Amino acid sequence: MEKQKRKELKKLIKSRLTRPMRYYLDLCTRCGICYDSCHVYYGIPKKEYSPVHRAEVVRKIYRKHFRLSGLLWPFWGDSTKMSDQVMDELLEAAYSCTMCRRCMLHCPFGIDMPYILGIAKLLLIGNGTAPEELVMLADAAVEKGKSIDEFKEGYQTVIKDLEKQVQQRLKLKSSEDLIPMEKKEANILYVGLAGAHSIITPAIIFNAAKENWCLSYFEGVNFGTFVGDPEKANFIAKRIIKEAKTLNVKEVVMVECGTAYRILKYMVGPLPFKVSSIVEVIHRYISQGKIKVKEGAVKEGVTYHDPCQLGRNGGIFDEPREVIKKVAPDFREMAPTREYNWCCGGGGGLVALDNEEFRIKSGKAKKDQIDVTGAKIVVTACENCVMQLKTIKSGYGMDVEVKYLSELVEENLII
Amino acid sequence: MWNSIYYFVMVPMVYIAFATLILGILFKFMRVVFSPPIPGTLGIFPRKLPKPLGVLKDSFLVPAAWRSSKIFWLAIMAFHLAFLLLFIGHLELIKDFKIIQVISHEVFLGAGWVGMVLIFTTLFFLMRRFSSPVRQISIPEDYILLIVLFLTFIFGSHMHLAARYSESGFDIQVGDYRAYLSSLFAFNPIIPEEISESPHYILLVIHIFLANLFMIFFPFSKMIHSVFVFVAHKIKRK
Repeated sequence: MEKQKRKELKKLIKSRLTRPMRYYLDLCTRCGICYDSCHVYYGIPKKEYSPVHRAEVVRKIYRKHFRLSGLLWPFWGDSTKMSDQVMDELLEAAYSCTMCRRCMLHCPFGIDMPYILGIAKLLLIGNGTAPEELVMLADAAVEKGKSIDEFKEGYQTVIKDLEKQVQQRLKLKSSEDLIPMEKKEANILYVGLAGAHSIITPAIIFNAAKENWCLSYFEGVNFGTFVGDPEKANFIAKRIIKEAKTLNVKEVVMVECGTAYRILKYMVGPLPFKVSSIVEVIHRYISQGKIKVKEGAVKEGVTYHDPCQLGRNGGIFDEPREVIKKVAPDFREMAPTREYNWCCGGGGGLVALDNEEFRIKSGKAKKDQIDVTGAKIVVTACENCVMQLKTIKSGYGMDVEVKYLSELVEENLII
Repeated sequence: MWNSIYYFVMVPMVYIAFATLILGILFKFMRVVFSPPIPGTLGIFPRKLPKPLGVLKDSFLVPAAWRSSKIFWLAIMAFHLAFLLLFIGHLELIKDFKIIQVISHEVFLGAGWVGMVLIFTTLFFLMRRFSSPVRQISIPEDYILLIVLFLTFIFGSHMHLAARYSESGFDIQVGDYRAYLSSLFAFNPIIPEEISESPHYILLVIHIFLANLFMIFFPFSKMIHSVFVFVAHKIKRK
């Protein structure tokens, strides 16, 4: 690696040396408690997939380039100069991690290992070796934000088609305004994803609840975060914030996408509107009697997979369980569950990469968990999780059905 | 020449070590304070206890270790508790503190058990590093620090146990240590003859040399976890 390149990459590391990063980089004692807390390590027991090793790859570079000991006595901290080989190690570390933060819960110091891997991801972008798929998806999202007016007309045409499907399900005479857009002073601005299912199902629920809502032009998923580019991540999130502010909505409701929810709720600082997940809104509607579901309609055993970004990292544990129990009395908890639940292996943008074999192996913990419950339906509330659970299902030939929480509710909605 | 080396270890190096320890921690802390804060939070859920209590629980009771291995947890707790008692014991080697004598005891505190616990827990931590999987993630710093600590405890414990339990007695007494340490703290350093003329002087010099090394390493090594553990647990609950 050239000296100039190393200098540029060093600057990138410096840009990420925030307050928490400073102490996260210093305080690991390598006690090894987090070693087997990672689902990837469970499926592929190699040290490269232990959280502490992943963070150490970054720490070794940090020590070499930012600490006096790295200069005077590199042996002390096993400090390593940036090189092409180290970049390969960073790639494996960063893109074998789903950012689920289960290791953070198992760390005696509460170190946010995925936050440290943010440096790895940024270095990969600087080195030009970040996964192309994610870079392209992030760029597309940024481009859409910059020239939204060009997209509007085409998008509205698509939405008109979706409105007809909503009309059919709700058995209404007209499809007019069933998926409103650019509605000022609406109670809710709903942010979906690119897939039609992420719009139709919530639209049915919003209309059934007679909500004053509208649909965002943007998709909630933040590929900027997945690829570890803080500027793009910020821009992608700000598109939604700008739209919500312009429309002066009271609440922004995020699609069943854990990362989208966590970023807007917890990562961008205070906002002039409330941020909720669609899961919370469905729970609210049922509690307030705004929508009614066929109680006890699902007879099969149902289990719930806590999406990491919604549960452990978002604090939503009880709402989905209460909703499921209404519809499916035979609810079965996974073990471990809630904040200690195993990640499915699809987060951090990993489902968007060409790595199916790896994801099947790293999904072993989830597969074992589901098997033990004996449930026939696995419900979850995250797009990435659903895609990954389906991969695990086909990879291991499991006899289960994977469903979104909103899908379960919509199927059993009394209209 | 040896006398000069002994003197260097016993006086100037102690000052250097303390200065490095205090200024180093301050430097590390200031680096964090002057780094840019993050806009949101890195919080994790659920938060069963209110913030101060939760931070104290996570920091002092180490529930993460309890869940992982009860034996490791026991070793961690025993080590840290003994380290606290060790600190108090050394305070008593400077002068009499009435507050520490609330439970009346002979100096050094713990009647030798503190040192024993530290020796065996450090040995346990060291052995753990030699076995897989911890071995695979250990770096030289981990071994060096544990070896330095282990040797410090061995020499310190030897002097204490010899003074307390040896029938023939030990020629360096509590009063001698107090004369030496209090003079250091008064910035008027003297090494009493009872120490410098003792045949066991070398043991004390090695003990202090190793302790000095540990203090110098402290701010620039993973030992800084004792300072940053609280802020890391705090941000987890922000």
